[in-house]
Amino acid sequence: MTNTKSILTPWRVIAVLIFASGAVATYMRFALGYQASTNLSNGQPWGVWVGLSTLCGVGLSAGGFMIAAAVYLMGMERYRPISRVAVMIAFLGYLAVCAGYAWELGLPWNFWHPIVMWNRQSVLFEVVWCIMLYTTVLALEFSPALIEKLPWQNTRQTLLRWQHRIVIALVLVGVLLSSMHQSFLGGLFIIFKGKEYPLWYSSYQTTLFYLSAIPAGMAMVIIALYLSIRSLRVKVDPKLLSELSKVITPMLVIFGLFRFLDLLRQHAGPYMFMAREETFYFWLEIALFVAVPLVLFNMERMKSRPIGLYWASCVTVMGFMTHRLNVSVTALERATATHYVPKWTEMAVAIMLISAAVIAFRYAVLYLDILPKNEPKTPPQLRWTMKGATAEA
Amino acid sequence: MESTKAILVDITKCIGCQQCAIACRAAHKQAGDPEPSLSATAFTVVEPHGDKFVRRMCLHCEDPSCASVCPVGAIKKTVQGAVRYDGSKCIGCRYCMIACPYGVPKYEWSKLAPYVTKCDMCAERVLGGNQPACTEACPTGASIFGKREELLREAKKRIVENPGTYVDRIYGETELGGTSVFYISDVPFEKLGFIEPPAQQPLPNLSEAALAEVPSVVAIGGSLLAGVYWITERRKEVALAEERERKERS
Repeated sequence: MTNTKSILTPWRVIAVLIFASGAVATYMRFALGYQASTNLSNGQPWGVWVGLSTLCGVGLSAGGFMIAAAVYLMGMERYRPISRVAVMIAFLGYLAVCAGYAWELGLPWNFWHPIVMWNRQSVLFEVVWCIMLYTTVLALEFSPALIEKLPWQNTRQTLLRWQHRIVIALVLVGVLLSSMHQSFLGGLFIIFKGKEYPLWYSSYQTTLFYLSAIPAGMAMVIIALYLSIRSLRVKVDPKLLSELSKVITPMLVIFGLFRFLDLLRQHAGPYMFMAREETFYFWLEIALFVAVPLVLFNMERMKSRPIGLYWASCVTVMGFMTHRLNVSVTALERATATHYVPKWTEMAVAIMLISAAVIAFRYAVLYLDILPKNEPKTPPQLRWTMKGATAEA
Repeated sequence: MESTKAILVDITKCIGCQQCAIACRAAHKQAGDPEPSLSATAFTVVEPHGDKFVRRMCLHCEDPSCASVCPVGAIKKTVQGAVRYDGSKCIGCRYCMIACPYGVPKYEWSKLAPYVTKCDMCAERVLGGNQPACTEACPTGASIFGKREELLREAKKRIVENPGTYVDRIYGETELGGTSVFYISDVPFEKLGFIEPPAQQPLPNLSEAALAEVPSVVAIGGSLLAGVYWITERRKEVALAEERERKERS
């Protein structure tokens, strides 16, 4: 915990400011409407709420299904100590995405319509269903962390036994659902042919979104683990961080290669060097998401230390967000002749949702058995210690 | 079977009098003067392009992108030809607005319960046996309403019978799978703000191709994962058995 003396720590002040501005923005959104609370327009109807909250929120939660698959399906036991935290990151990420729909949807009270009103032609329909189902799967995957804290022994054991019985099926279904909607988020943009700027249009946008979500989701797990080790007295073998980072580098290379070959395939090569605003955002994306992370993850000084891995992961996440915002915002500006800069309220809501997830993460790590802890007060559970996770911190 | 209805706009005949826009406002109970461009409160507008006038409206595609992307099926192509929006289903995701290649659907950004708005080809009037307000109001016959095939025939006839007058193209005949609003013109369409279709086929085909992979991905991916799990378990069993053997021997 950051503080034992004063209630007014800098982080708490920042949190209060974030939630206060979020509350004002929320009031504006629901009491005054979109026009007063956003810079969205007919030319740019999605903006950062979709670009950040949905596209990035889902993508950055991809660590959950990968770690779960590694541990439960592939038997990579060394990742078991972090499988729960990876699932929780995903769970909180998806909860934030779902909560975000309250602001994003024009008629949020109709959010349940896709359950009963079907349109199988719509990529968004598939995405919505996958997100609903996968959030349920994540809740069930994560449920033991809460069930363990139930005071009634019999109920606890019965529930845990049931959860244990279905956990393999949950993980398997979770991987399928994730793979589907991670790629279909990119699939949303396939029909925008002619509107999307050539540097971002691809008939393989599904593949690109899938390939980009994997390193970004891994980077997110590294960030969360590093911060937990540093400030939540969590005991995780730092070697795990560098092992995770070894998955990121090849994935970034694959993504970069695929991205460039795909652009050449679609004859978008010349656009890479035009003197246009889009060109800048394209190279910014390539720099932050491919070039700089690849250099950082391979520098001895960075990869040998958790803090180095942390910063390299932060750049990766920034690059990932640049990619998603480019696809959803930058790419549409020329065709729709709209220059969109989000209003402060849009950012305030997005930041509030992220902060809520971060705070929930913090308290879950502190009060539930998410990660093995250093504190002797709450003894780590047997199964954590058995897997050799309590090595040197 | 009921025949599909359509609208033919002959740009050579349009004098920019705005009668269509005025009639449209009246038919949709919208107060105020005609607007310069399509908006949440203007479903058809007359745009000047040099000395020509181009009436903008929903083209009522044969295979509409907006209807294809709507997750709840709030937008439907009707048998009468109109592409209609059902606000009671809408969740407000605004996917249709970006998906429309012509940029037609608009949003009521200023309202607390905002809906998508666009031309509905006066579907209620047409069901009642009338024609849309705009074509009825047109004093020069620049916009006419009729059966889709008949209007196509009429457009072709005008192009053939007036050599040198028209550009040899009926905009909407084949564009992105065809529309139910056709334009003929004496000026090339690209000079009048018409988009060149970005594909040779209806745009919904593009996302359908991606969606078509779902069943195979689920089947193959699911079996692969199950296979991986089986191998993992088998390995564990073998490891355990070997362990036991070793113990027994020693």
